[in-house]
Amino acid sequence: MTKPLEVEQETSLKVGNVATKSYALQESALVKWSLITISLIFLALFLILPLVSIFVTALEKGWATYVASIADPDALAAIKLTLTVVLIVVPLNAIFGIVAAWAITKFSFKGKNVLITLIDLPFAVSPVIAGLVFILLFGAQGLFGEWLFQNDIKIVFALPGIVIATMFVTFPFVARELIPLMQMQGITEEEASISLGASGWKTFFFVTLPNIKWGLLYGLILCNARTIGEFGAVSVVSGHIRGMTNTMPLHIEILYNEYQFTAAFAVASLMSILAIITIIIKNIIEWKAKDV
Amino acid sequence: MELTLKKRKKNTIIPGFTLTLGYTMLYLSIIVLLPLSMVFFNTLSMSWSEFWETIADPRAVASYKLSFGTALAAGIINVIFGTIIAWVLVRYQFPGKRIVDGLVDLPFALPTAVAGIALATLYSPNGWVGQFFDFKIAFTPLGIIIALTFIGLPFVVRTVQPVLQNLSSEIEEASASLGATRLQTFTKVIFPELLPAIITGFSLAFARSLGEYGSVVFIAGNMPMKTEITPLIIMTKLEQYDYVGATAIATVMLITSFVLLLLINIIQWYTNRKFNLK
Amino acid sequence: MSIHIQKVSKTFGSFQALQDISIDIESGELIALLGPSGSGKTTLLRILAGLEGLDEGAILFDGQNITNVSPKERKVGFVFQHYALFRHMTVFDNVAYGLKVRPRKTRPSKEEISKKVTDLLALVKLDNFADRYPSQLSGGQRQRVALARALAVEPKVLLLDEPFGALDAKVRKELRRWLRKLHNEFHVTSIFVTHDQEEALDVANRIIVMNNGQIEQVGTPEEVYEHPNSPFVYDFLGNVNLFRGRLHKGKLTQGQFEIDVPTYLDSYDDAVGYVRPHDIQIEKEPLNNETVAAKIVHIHMVGPIVQIELKREDVDEYLEAEIPKEHYRELNINNGDTVYIRPKQLRVFIPEDFSI
Repeated sequence: MTKPLEVEQETSLKVGNVATKSYALQESALVKWSLITISLIFLALFLILPLVSIFVTALEKGWATYVASIADPDALAAIKLTLTVVLIVVPLNAIFGIVAAWAITKFSFKGKNVLITLIDLPFAVSPVIAGLVFILLFGAQGLFGEWLFQNDIKIVFALPGIVIATMFVTFPFVARELIPLMQMQGITEEEASISLGASGWKTFFFVTLPNIKWGLLYGLILCNARTIGEFGAVSVVSGHIRGMTNTMPLHIEILYNEYQFTAAFAVASLMSILAIITIIIKNIIEWKAKDV
Repeated sequence: MELTLKKRKKNTIIPGFTLTLGYTMLYLSIIVLLPLSMVFFNTLSMSWSEFWETIADPRAVASYKLSFGTALAAGIINVIFGTIIAWVLVRYQFPGKRIVDGLVDLPFALPTAVAGIALATLYSPNGWVGQFFDFKIAFTPLGIIIALTFIGLPFVVRTVQPVLQNLSSEIEEASASLGATRLQTFTKVIFPELLPAIITGFSLAFARSLGEYGSVVFIAGNMPMKTEITPLIIMTKLEQYDYVGATAIATVMLITSFVLLLLINIIQWYTNRKFNLK
Repeated sequence: MSIHIQKVSKTFGSFQALQDISIDIESGELIALLGPSGSGKTTLLRILAGLEGLDEGAILFDGQNITNVSPKERKVGFVFQHYALFRHMTVFDNVAYGLKVRPRKTRPSKEEISKKVTDLLALVKLDNFADRYPSQLSGGQRQRVALARALAVEPKVLLLDEPFGALDAKVRKELRRWLRKLHNEFHVTSIFVTHDQEEALDVANRIIVMNNGQIEQVGTPEEVYEHPNSPFVYDFLGNVNLFRGRLHKGKLTQGQFEIDVPTYLDSYDDAVGYVRPHDIQIEKEPLNNETVAAKIVHIHMVGPIVQIELKREDVDEYLEAEIPKEHYRELNINNGDTVYIRPKQLRVFIPEDFSI
């Protein structure tokens, strides 16, 4: 006798929620605009003003000085070094992130939660300590110091030291974006692919990668931003050798401490532009990922 | 922190378990675990009295207090304003909202040294903002709090925002139809729902603030006993080739961070269990 | 409390959720708002509670216009589809909430609140669950807490949005009976939304059938079930067999089938006769030209009613008939037999009835 009526009730509700915020859930206009004003003043004071001041100070002495500050050989060397570090660190951490996420989300094994916590560990460590540990390992008095000296290998106060310290600091970025995402997606698609005869690699490239591309890109962007900007850890291991082991942030520090404010802010403005680009890309990714 | 890895593969047909887990463990050990263990390893080579003398040195103790106090103050500021900002971004429409929303990520994207010099310049006695105050902001603990507030803001906003977004409107409607005022609905119904996220955001911001170096050194003034944060003490000791001393202080910081991390997890586990959050 | 809904309209963007709705509800009625999803029934309920504003029209409670009164002042008890319990509060605190948030002047004392909550929990048979959290309760128990919470503020109207929608069949039946009992005791004007016709027929003493933001029919369960006034209501309440054919001079013809419908004297090429399965008469021999041959396709024999699926031999259409088991035994029919059927009662709808 009962007629099966499988239609979901939800639709009518949804129409209501999307179109107008329900009548009962609104504050008075006074409260609303006060809160908006408070937020905007706070953000202006802490975020917008610093950003604006960077560009204003950088251009204070004119365009020519600005260009000269950036075209300075030491500045160019710093830019080059930073780019080198990015090109090594970001791909390595990306590969690690993908591999670790695959191991953690596609299989079940004991100690998984411990492993996830350990991957997040570098976030809980002060950058200064991140630098210190590599001095303890590879420094002159460090664990491998003697051996490295005898074989004439330089790690600390050289590019390898900067790279590895940056790697430590940016270690979790890609993995922690991918793990929750891949956990949510489950393993059914991969199982289907493999049961249809695809190899593990093919499955990864044709099934998994398309599913995680936005998450991966998101992780890469964040990892990239932190790699470019890392200061504390690099400061410990670099030795501040001008034109040799100074990354962009270290170069800014030196200029600033020498009271060359315009030059310092010129380089800083360059990095700020990168930061703004990062935020824009991040928003585009979030927007794209929402559509999927 | 030994990992017991018994293979408990559930008859899966997906390949690569040994390869991927092996690589993960190897990379993790080389980049993170081995280097970190050096801190504890080197500390063990110190005698207890030597260790205690280093970490209980008045200058070090003053730095703990400063780091802890400023991180706490910045955390509280961020909890208040971060929650308001998250609320405004989720609930209200206003011109330029998308830009403001994106801007919240600035502290994540901007190199800390850049933020440091910008804030130091702004809040110095003759800076754009500093000139309006007849007391010093930069080069005092107040300056440190400002730098840490900058660093920590996105942590609170970005943890509270999604929770607020997913909050079912039904519970607010239920509260309203039962006769509660808007303020009562917020304090008795919405705020308790947000609290776990607020605590998480606070803890993340606090943990980051304790170890923060780049944005603080420029604005702090770095006066021993007054405006010298703990990471700077490690830095100074390193510059003096006092590796043992640096390591001892690092041990204190690391243990503090780990305890904090543990505490966050316990709080989250407890709230999840109590209210069975879906 | 009586409720008058006067010419209420509501749109969400370009979607017309409610279109010129007018209903009068007497004090103490138990009303079902029945309709498919998107018919506007939930929107109407939310407008009554003040959770949603309306574009046009007015709502009167006891003759008083409350269209612009905020939900907190309407004295309405609202039970949400997914209960909307406060998960960080115990059952006790959930039920006490509406009393605790009152301004100090009208707020009952702690003891009074405690007594009232305890009484209500006893009423919903959850006395032993006062200190539990919602997550520790079953669906049916949560629903009862939601009800107790709504009743605590002594509402003049009780509004329930799909109150049993998320429960399994057995609990649902139990709660239905219980809701009716509760209503008999308290006599508070109650309106519940449902898309389940059986639920509406079973619980309500008046049903409002809605479709596409409009009211299709209002009436007692018997009225709407026995005398549907539109194809939609016929279709929505219970199973139905359709005879699509030509209407001419008081006769509806389809294939070899012809039946007298004296009330319709106009001619239409596409009229539809609606017949409930239990109004299909089955004979072993042809009676006159009113019966038509059909083959038995399937016999479903669980319970006191036998359902028979038939395929007509003159046109390619299937029919469903329901007969009591005794009658079925007397007929002595089997799968594959050819029988002769005739509608005992039939309602014809002409094309105009379908244009909405």
